[in-house]
Amino acid sequence: MEAVAEQKSVYLQDFQRRDRSAEPAWWETRREAAMQRFEANGFPTRKVEAWKQTRLAHVTQEHFQPAHSPGTLGSEMHNRLAVVEDAVRIVFVDGILDTERSELERLPDGLRVRSLADALGEEGGVAESHLARHADAEAHPFIALNTALSTQGVVIEVGSGAAPQQPIELVHVMTADTGSVASWPRVLIHGATSSEFTVVQRYMGADGAAYLTAPVTEIIGEANSHIGFYQYVEEGDQGAHLGVIHATLDRDAQLTGHALHAGGRTVRTDLYANLDGPGCSVNLNGLYLLKSGEFADFHTWTRHHADHCTSQQRFKGVLDGKSEAVFDGLIHVARDAQKTDAEQENRNLLLSPKALAHSNPRLEIYADDVKCGHGSTVGQLDEAAVFYLRSRGVSEDEARGILTFAFANEMLEPVSLPSLRDYEREALLSLLPGEEAVRKLL
Amino acid sequence: MALLEIRNLHAAVEGEEILRGIDLTLDTGEVHAIMGPNGSGKSTLAKVIAGDAGYEVTQGEVLVDGVDILELEPEERARAGVFMGFQYPVEIPGVSNTYFLKAAANAIRKHRGEPEVDAMQFLKHVRERMELVQMDESLLKRPVNEGFSGGEKKRNEIFHMAVLEPRLAILDETDSGLDIDALRTVAHGVNSLRSDERGFLLITHYQRLLNYIVPDKVHVMVQGRIVKSGDKQLAVELEESGYALFEEGAAA
Repeated sequence: MEAVAEQKSVYLQDFQRRDRSAEPAWWETRREAAMQRFEANGFPTRKVEAWKQTRLAHVTQEHFQPAHSPGTLGSEMHNRLAVVEDAVRIVFVDGILDTERSELERLPDGLRVRSLADALGEEGGVAESHLARHADAEAHPFIALNTALSTQGVVIEVGSGAAPQQPIELVHVMTADTGSVASWPRVLIHGATSSEFTVVQRYMGADGAAYLTAPVTEIIGEANSHIGFYQYVEEGDQGAHLGVIHATLDRDAQLTGHALHAGGRTVRTDLYANLDGPGCSVNLNGLYLLKSGEFADFHTWTRHHADHCTSQQRFKGVLDGKSEAVFDGLIHVARDAQKTDAEQENRNLLLSPKALAHSNPRLEIYADDVKCGHGSTVGQLDEAAVFYLRSRGVSEDEARGILTFAFANEMLEPVSLPSLRDYEREALLSLLPGEEAVRKLL
Repeated sequence: MALLEIRNLHAAVEGEEILRGIDLTLDTGEVHAIMGPNGSGKSTLAKVIAGDAGYEVTQGEVLVDGVDILELEPEERARAGVFMGFQYPVEIPGVSNTYFLKAAANAIRKHRGEPEVDAMQFLKHVRERMELVQMDESLLKRPVNEGFSGGEKKRNEIFHMAVLEPRLAILDETDSGLDIDALRTVAHGVNSLRSDERGFLLITHYQRLLNYIVPDKVHVMVQGRIVKSGDKQLAVELEESGYALFEEGAAA
């Protein structure tokens, strides 16, 4: 039988087949709307501007279904479950919340974490107020599918004025046990007024498993909240990751975001940042490290809706072998968003003549008193610098390794969690020519 | 055996011949200066010896301690003891000066079959050498040459040389653009490193440097050839007469 996702019916059939009688009516309404949007639009073709450079055929031609039960973790995966030191850890295996491996019992003061199912049951709670109210299903097919189909996820709430010391680490693991598994994790993070906290969301998967992970994480920062958000993606070599991080900030809120794509056949993250109240600020930095056969894509949507907000975006890519990357960054400044200060920078380093990087900065500015800057480069290593190093005795491989490390490591320096930074640095080092020599110099 | 022996060296860039038969012999313990007008090929000579791939050697030999280095990669030449101070030192964002020097020192040690540098001892060595060139310690942690002033970059080249202790140091216009204080510091660095184990080839545009570093020999280079060699007195004569006389001779 042919896979029929393109005929728009398999996911609708899945949706209609599922028993949703236990879910509250408000959630049913939102799910229905999202499913209808997906049905109306389908998967985007290459003619859709925001998707024209993303190769999706191997995703859209397959019918991915949720796992019935979680698979077994290999020891190598098991060892990578805990990365962030002293974190409140929440683990999903094959898209299913693993309560055994999660640590939902010992939460610091001011932090509340519940499973999606539990949070849905609360009348008038944050889920009802915010879930699927921010991330727009119209604009993004995988937001629509996630909203329609997700049964697994967590709702994280940080109370007003609370500043839990422990970071929260969400770990999503895909095992090699079954093929064509879909994971639709849904995460809602709500920071109340003047709260301050850090969330790390990590994804990894077994090589050889052709799965789809399509997470949606909605972040709501109330006034004066300070949120640190880290995303780390190292999917298996056949894994597809089509994720969305959607942040909405009220006045004086601050979001510091960091994202790293370090593995996967197709990895795309859409980062939405809505600066909805005056005086808020967003600082996003990202890095993509690609080996041969990999595709990585960052789409950022920074939308200034209020005055006196600042946003900074810095994204860098290192592409080796026959790999391809997209950076597409929008800065939108609404008419009333005066005194906006927005910057965007994207730099790509190609280590191979077969690597291809697309860089698309987009500015839409409707206010007149703003400061906006953007820059983008795609290039190779500076041969003058390579020669300079070699003329002092450093081998060519090591010279290239050192310069590549220096280029990329700049994006790891702002990572404020040392354990995560070390882990990310390992991923970077393992890609470098002259790795051993570079490692010794650290 | 001479430390450096250049025999009938011809080199071209993009098909255009720049060096047209250079012969030069430099013994250990000696300092030679090469002077010449713009475009005479002085810097090309330095880059060819260091192994810059932008230049094609079409004829001749360059022997260091009797070994023809033209077949060696740039890093192999450095490990054999050749050091070039760049006319325009390259900025390397993200790589600290110390990190760079450690990488270089280890590569050279590995080549000699010596163990890697001990971090503490290396730091001590580096500090001593910094004093020699009166360089601010903050420049150690900063990325190589990034945001350095012109004088700081040149000082940093001498500092690298002092740390790496080469057999043969070629300084390509290290004095150009320096104020008198920086020039004195650079000269002091070179003079302190002069020894029977080492030789220097100074490529310079200005006689002034030679007031501070007294050369054993001075060569005048014009249009890709050495047209006259002499002692330090030759530099003084050049300062007075200019290169015009030699240029006419070379063209003839």
